Amino acid sequence: MMHQPPVIPASSGRGPVADLSIVAAVELGGAVVLGVFLLADDPRIIVALLGLMGAGFALLQFRPAIEERIVAAFRAARRAAMILGAAVVLVYPFLMQGSSYALHLLIIAQLYSVLALALNFQLGSANIPNFATGASYGIGAYTSALLAINFGVSFWLTLPAAALVATFFGFALGFPSMRTRETYLALVTIAFAIVIHQLLNNFSWTGGPNGLVGVPAPVLFGHSFADPIELFGRRLPSQANFYYLSAALVALAIISARRLHDSRIGLAWNALRGDELAARCQGINVVWYKILAFAVDAFLAAFAGSVYASYVSYISPDNFTFLVSVTIMTMVIVGGMDNTLGVILGAFLLTMLPEKLRIFADYRLLFVSVIVILFLILRPQGLFPQRPRSYGGRE
Amino acid sequence: MTTPLLETRRLSIRFGGLVAVNGVDLRLAAGEVLIIIGPNGAGKSTLFNMISGIYRPSSGTVHLNGHDITGRPAHRIAAAGIARTFQSSRLFNDLTLVDNVVIGMHTRTRTGVIDALLRPRRARAELDAAAERAGALIRLVSADLYERRHALAGTLPQADRRRLEIARALASDPKVILLDEPSSGMDERDTDALIKDIHTVMAERPGLSFIIIEHDMRLVAALPERVMVIDYGEKIAEGHFSEVRLLPRVQEAYLGQKAAHA
Repeated sequence: MMHQPPVIPASSGRGPVADLSIVAAVELGGAVVLGVFLLADDPRIIVALLGLMGAGFALLQFRPAIEERIVAAFRAARRAAMILGAAVVLVYPFLMQGSSYALHLLIIAQLYSVLALALNFQLGSANIPNFATGASYGIGAYTSALLAINFGVSFWLTLPAAALVATFFGFALGFPSMRTRETYLALVTIAFAIVIHQLLNNFSWTGGPNGLVGVPAPVLFGHSFADPIELFGRRLPSQANFYYLSAALVALAIISARRLHDSRIGLAWNALRGDELAARCQGINVVWYKILAFAVDAFLAAFAGSVYASYVSYISPDNFTFLVSVTIMTMVIVGGMDNTLGVILGAFLLTMLPEKLRIFADYRLLFVSVIVILFLILRPQGLFPQRPRSYGGRE
Repeated sequence: MTTPLLETRRLSIRFGGLVAVNGVDLRLAAGEVLIIIGPNGAGKSTLFNMISGIYRPSSGTVHLNGHDITGRPAHRIAAAGIARTFQSSRLFNDLTLVDNVVIGMHTRTRTGVIDALLRPRRARAELDAAAERAGALIRLVSADLYERRHALAGTLPQADRRRLEIARALASDPKVILLDEPSSGMDERDTDALIKDIHTVMAERPGLSFIIIEHDMRLVAALPERVMVIDYGEKIAEGHFSEVRLLPRVQEAYLGQKAAHA
C-alpha cells in the first residue's frame, strides 16, 4: 500500500534482523499513512500526507540505493513480509473506528486494484492498449446480478459463471482485435466498451438505464454479508464483510499475476511487448498470447464486477462507462507497468484522491489531475517501475 | 542423393510490381555453412524473411528435412528448427540477457496457463532450469557477456548485441541458424572478435547448419565455405569464394560494369 521509505542508510545493516526491521517499517509505515489518510477530515492533514508521499518517492527517485535496499529486504524476508502484510490486512477494519465510509473506500480501492491488475496483464506485460476493462467489469457485474435476481443463484456460483461469460466476451473481443494493432487496436477496444455500455442501456432485460435493483448480498455459512460482523466483542459495520471478500480477491489477483509473470507466459508477453516480430521468430504464437491476455483480463475484471454488484446491490450502465476503463488505465500507468505492487498503489491513490479532495468541491478533479501529473513527473516510469526477474537462488 | 536439410525451390516474392527475389534455389546439408553475399537491396534479407516465415513467398517452396514449410507462420517455422538473427539486432531491450535467451527457448519449454497458475513449483523449476541453460549458452558465445547476464539487454554495445542474438538463436536448439549480417555496424576489431566467437559456436555444434548473409569480405574470406551471390533478387553464382569472386558477373555486381571491365 502506501510506502514510506524508512530512514536507514542503504549501506548499513545487512542480515536478517535488518531485513526484518526494514520490512516491518515499510509495511507498518505504509499502513499508518493509509489509515491517517483515510480517517483524516482536515484538508491540511491530507495535503501534508500527499506531500510526505511525494517526498518519499522523491527520495526513492534520487537515492536509488534506498529502493534497492528495500527490495532486497523484501526478497530476503519474503515469508515474514507476507505474514505481516496479511496480518495488517486482517486487523485493518478494527482500526477504522467503525467508519463505514473508510471501509467503503477500501473496498472500492481493492476492487479497482483487481481491475488494474487485470489490465496490467495486457497493458503492462504485453503492451496491448485495452480500453474495455470497464466493459468486462460490467459484464461480470450484470451476469452475476441477473443470475442472482432472476434465478436465485448463490453468489458463490455466480462468481465463476460471471468470470466465464466475461472471458468468452474477452475472446470475442480478442479475435477481431488481432487483425489490428496499436492505435487501431485501441480504437477497437474503445468501440467494444461503448457498445457494451449502450447495450446495457438499451436492453430491457438488463433494466435499461435504470439498471438492476436488489442484488442479494452473499451468504457464507449462514452469515449474510449485509449483517455487521461481531467478533471478540467488537462490532464491525457490514462493509467489513465485503472488505474481507475484496481483500481475498486482491490476494487471488496478486498470486495469479505473480505466477503468470514468473512463468514462460509472462516472458512471452514481455517479448511481444518488446518486439513483436522478434517474438514471432522465437516461436511465440503472438495471436494466441494476445488473446490470452484479453481472456485473463476479462476473467479477473468479472470477479471484481460480481463483488461490486453484490456489494452495492444496485448497478446501472453508468457504473461501467468508457471512463471507468480510462481510470483503470491511468492507475496502471501511474502505479508502474508490470509491477504488481505499483499497480495496486496506483489503484488506491486514484480511488481515494477524488474522495479525499472533496473539500475542493468543483475543482477536485483538477487537483487530482495535477497530483497525478506531478507524480508522473517525479517518477516517469510509474511509482514502482517494472523490475528485472530473478532466477533460482540469485538475490 | 540424400534429402538436404533445408531446400528452397524457385523461391520468389513480388511486392506490387517489384520482384524482390526471383526463383532462388538453395540447398543446405546438415552441418554445412553457406554464405550469401550480394550488393545492398539484392534481396538477401528478403530471402531470410521468406525462409523464416515473416514473408509469404509469391511462388516456390521451402522444405526443411523434406517437409514443406512454405508460408507457415513464423512461430511454427521457429519451432520446426529454424532460428535467426536480424540485421538491426532485435533484442528485448527492457529484459535481462538471461530473459532474452530464455525467451529463445519458448519452443522447448512447456508451461501453459493452467500449469503456471496451479502448479507454480513446476513452472518455476522449468524456468530456473531454462535460466541455467541460458547462462551456459551465453557463456558459450562469450565469457564477458556471461558476467553481465543480469543486466538489461538495452545497455549492451553493438557487438555484444550480436552475440546475445546468436545465443538467443541457439537457445531453441535449432537445426539451421540464419545470421543476417552479423558484422553490420561493427569496426574491424569487433568483427574479428565476432568471427572468432562464431567459429567457437560452429566448433561446439558440429551438426548445426548456418546461412550467413555478409557484406564484410574479410569475414567471408575468413569463413572458407560455400558462397552464394545474389543480385537483383537472383542467384548469379555459387561456389567457393576464391573462385566466385573472379567471375565477371560477380565483379560487375560488386564493382559496377565499368570497373569490372577496366
